[in-house]
Amino acid sequence: MTESIDIHPIVFPPEVLARISPDISLQRHLSLETRPCSRGFEEFRDVAINDGNISRYSTNCQNATTNNIIGSSLLRSGKTFVITSITGGIIEETLPANNTEDVGEEELMKLSEDTDRLCENSTIYPVVEVQRGRVGGPTDEEMITSEKLYKTLLHSGILKKTALAVSCGIRRTEEDGSVTTIYSDELLDEEKKINEANNRKWSYVLYAKIQVFSRNGPIYDLCWNSLISALKTVQLPRAFLDERAADLKIAIRTRGRSMTIRETYDILCDPHKSLPLKLNEGELCYGSNYGIIDIEPLAQLAKNDDEMDVDKPTSVLLADIETEAEESSILSTLSLTTNKNGQFKAATIIGGDSKITPEMIKRCIFLSKQRSKDIESKV
Amino acid sequence: METTTHVLGHVDGSSVVSNSGTKVICSVSGPMEPKSRQELPTQLALEIIVKPAEGVQSTREKLMEDQIRSVLTPVLARYLHPRQFVQICLQVLEAGESRDYTVKEVSVCVNAAVLALVDAGVPLLSMCSGTCIGITTEGKQLVVNPTESQLAKCESVHVYCLELGTNENGDIDVRNLLLLDSLGSFDESQLFKVLETGEKECIRLYTELRSVIKDKVAKDFVWRQ
Amino acid sequence: MAKDIEISNAESKFILEALKLKQRLDGRSYDQFRDVKIEIGEAYGDVTVTMGNTKVHCRISCEIAQPYEDRPFEGLFHISTETTPMAGAQFENGNNTGEEEVLISRMIEKAVRRSGALDVEGLCIIAGSKCWSLRADVHFLDCDGGLIDASCIAVMAGLLHFKKPDVTVLGERVTVHPIDEREPVSLGVLHVPICVTFSFFNPDDTEENIKGEDNAEISIIDASLKEELLRDGVLTVTLNKNREVVQISKAGGLPMEALSLIDCCHKAYGIVEKITDQIHRVVKQDTIARNQYAHILSSENARET
Repeated sequence: MTESIDIHPIVFPPEVLARISPDISLQRHLSLETRPCSRGFEEFRDVAINDGNISRYSTNCQNATTNNIIGSSLLRSGKTFVITSITGGIIEETLPANNTEDVGEEELMKLSEDTDRLCENSTIYPVVEVQRGRVGGPTDEEMITSEKLYKTLLHSGILKKTALAVSCGIRRTEEDGSVTTIYSDELLDEEKKINEANNRKWSYVLYAKIQVFSRNGPIYDLCWNSLISALKTVQLPRAFLDERAADLKIAIRTRGRSMTIRETYDILCDPHKSLPLKLNEGELCYGSNYGIIDIEPLAQLAKNDDEMDVDKPTSVLLADIETEAEESSILSTLSLTTNKNGQFKAATIIGGDSKITPEMIKRCIFLSKQRSKDIESKV
Repeated sequence: METTTHVLGHVDGSSVVSNSGTKVICSVSGPMEPKSRQELPTQLALEIIVKPAEGVQSTREKLMEDQIRSVLTPVLARYLHPRQFVQICLQVLEAGESRDYTVKEVSVCVNAAVLALVDAGVPLLSMCSGTCIGITTEGKQLVVNPTESQLAKCESVHVYCLELGTNENGDIDVRNLLLLDSLGSFDESQLFKVLETGEKECIRLYTELRSVIKDKVAKDFVWRQ
Repeated sequence: MAKDIEISNAESKFILEALKLKQRLDGRSYDQFRDVKIEIGEAYGDVTVTMGNTKVHCRISCEIAQPYEDRPFEGLFHISTETTPMAGAQFENGNNTGEEEVLISRMIEKAVRRSGALDVEGLCIIAGSKCWSLRADVHFLDCDGGLIDASCIAVMAGLLHFKKPDVTVLGERVTVHPIDEREPVSLGVLHVPICVTFSFFNPDDTEENIKGEDNAEISIIDASLKEELLRDGVLTVTLNKNREVVQISKAGGLPMEALSLIDCCHKAYGIVEKITDQIHRVVKQDTIARNQYAHILSSENARET
């Protein structure tokens, strides 16, 4: 007994196809000269940046007394939000091998400066969190992005060690019980010796917490741009020592031996006075990313006969990768961090699939300069 | 570049590669049965572990792993071994650079991994080689394979990996740029100079790797004659 | 998932039968320790130890840190033994909670750190505020048994070879002199503990615990991986050249005769003496090789002794 079987081709609605076969969906979009996010090939997402009123030094901050965030930024790119909040701490320099104020060792310092370019650069300790609605240890992507931000900032020279050095003040308690705080740059000549007697050095350390909401594509460039705009808002609180604590010695005994140990200073932060963080403004730059994908001839939508002759490029360049389809199917990517004049601070080119030609790199550099100009005007 | 292959007994393939003060030992196991969360239904899964010479693994090594992965993934014939995986362990024996840099380690790791993959007999679509380049602050000179002290004087540092092969006529065939990772201050013309110099150096390394493999194969298959 | 290595019945029977005939797979006798090869790398404190197919790399490094509050006169010393699948598929990356991994790290810790082999007070720079923090990173490259013995040799050779940068203390200020600027300083190593591992076999597979005259029990020194998998009991003794027992570890397994412990220590002492001399010899040779221009640069006058 035979029964005829009808074969129906299965037709998926676009959103289902995008889910089960993102590569074919992307190719179909490309053949219509558009992208799954309905942007043009070289069109970027719109970017909006402000300080988000998160920092205690923000103009509209509601909780300036209890807030310990000293710099912030809120970046929106398409649907994705990136919130950066910068906090800080003070550490004692453990390796004062070349004290900047020591005249005798100036020569040695020059020598070491000459040999190590990075020794004068400083950086920030970023923690990137991509909010996915679940808890757990950091994912590889979060760790890699944090490390990349840390390294790029260190090598860029945007943040110098001198900008983070603490110029320490002294809090004096007068005989009448009134308390005043004096800073070295405000000191009168006769009192200057107080500060010079103390030859320890402190510096600020900065930590950045970068939270990414509604992740919809590669995050490194967004995080970098957000970090730079947050750094521009950082105000470093002034720090001082209590005069009474400045020369405290404590005797200790351990296992039959005794000795005096100079108590570590308690360095305190001024709740009112602060100084803006000095960045190397000329070095500031912004990031953008690109993808290159081959056009798959078999996945193209059928064309009318007369259109067949048009010579189509075999691969296309897409700016500002967004959506899962693009991210998972495009394996050749470029991520460029530059300013509007083409001064680069970082570049990562990965050729996982499509061939990357010098012409494409040139085109990306051109686009990234324009993009940097655009972002710079918004920060 | 000094290389030795098949140095370890309990893994499928291994190699030691050292280049201007950086030394890495690499082991490859597989293709073998993966953990269920690593398994890929259509392709060979890849696990890369980088261990530093001093201290424990940190985010620094995670970034190195990610870079090495992006270089090796396109080179492997991954479709041949679906639902299986290859484990690549890279132990840095001598970093040859301070913790603020990873360029030398990454480039040596890539070369060591390729040799170990060949030693293990994992199918490859093409070969790759990696090098690092620095541009000095004074004079803007390109330094290929800088030493630790040269590296510290560089304004920008670059890792460059190239996918290479040999075509039917025996000519070297440059297939694609696999990785360029640049840090520091540089401009467009310097970037292209790095691409140009890197390509030359990678081709040189490729011929070196090929001759190492040729000698190795001649030695390993001596029983066939 | 790392799986335990399994050994086939035929092979295990073969190895045990051979052992009964006083034969080991690699042709050694029962009490023969494998030849130890100690190689020293470019940097100070970079040692590779090879024993047969077992290969262990050890790297010593140091940095300035703050001492523990209750021990202001002591520096910090940490030994890290992390396994990777490089040594063999039975090890898992980043998982150091396995029975064997824990045992190895505990044994090396006890043998080297807790025995006071390193003078930690010599690491102190400014009491209570600054000291050297020394770390030994042990990397297992290839495992064919005897990881504890090999690691112990590697760590001790590393400590003897390592030199920390010289420091100048001026009041509260510490200046670290780079190695190329001022001759670095050796560490204070008080004694050299060496581990020797004995493995016990009971080839008559019955539960023969009553040990009479016809006791067929076999004890071998420095088991290879396959012998380790088949052994019924294990004993690790750590001795130094001063004939002192540093530690003894016998965790369950086949019960052993109390008096044979002395016998084991005697056997171990010969090996310990040989290896200690070898470590000293290799380190000395390397020092001479590094210092080959010293006599030209030295301005010291030759003195009659």
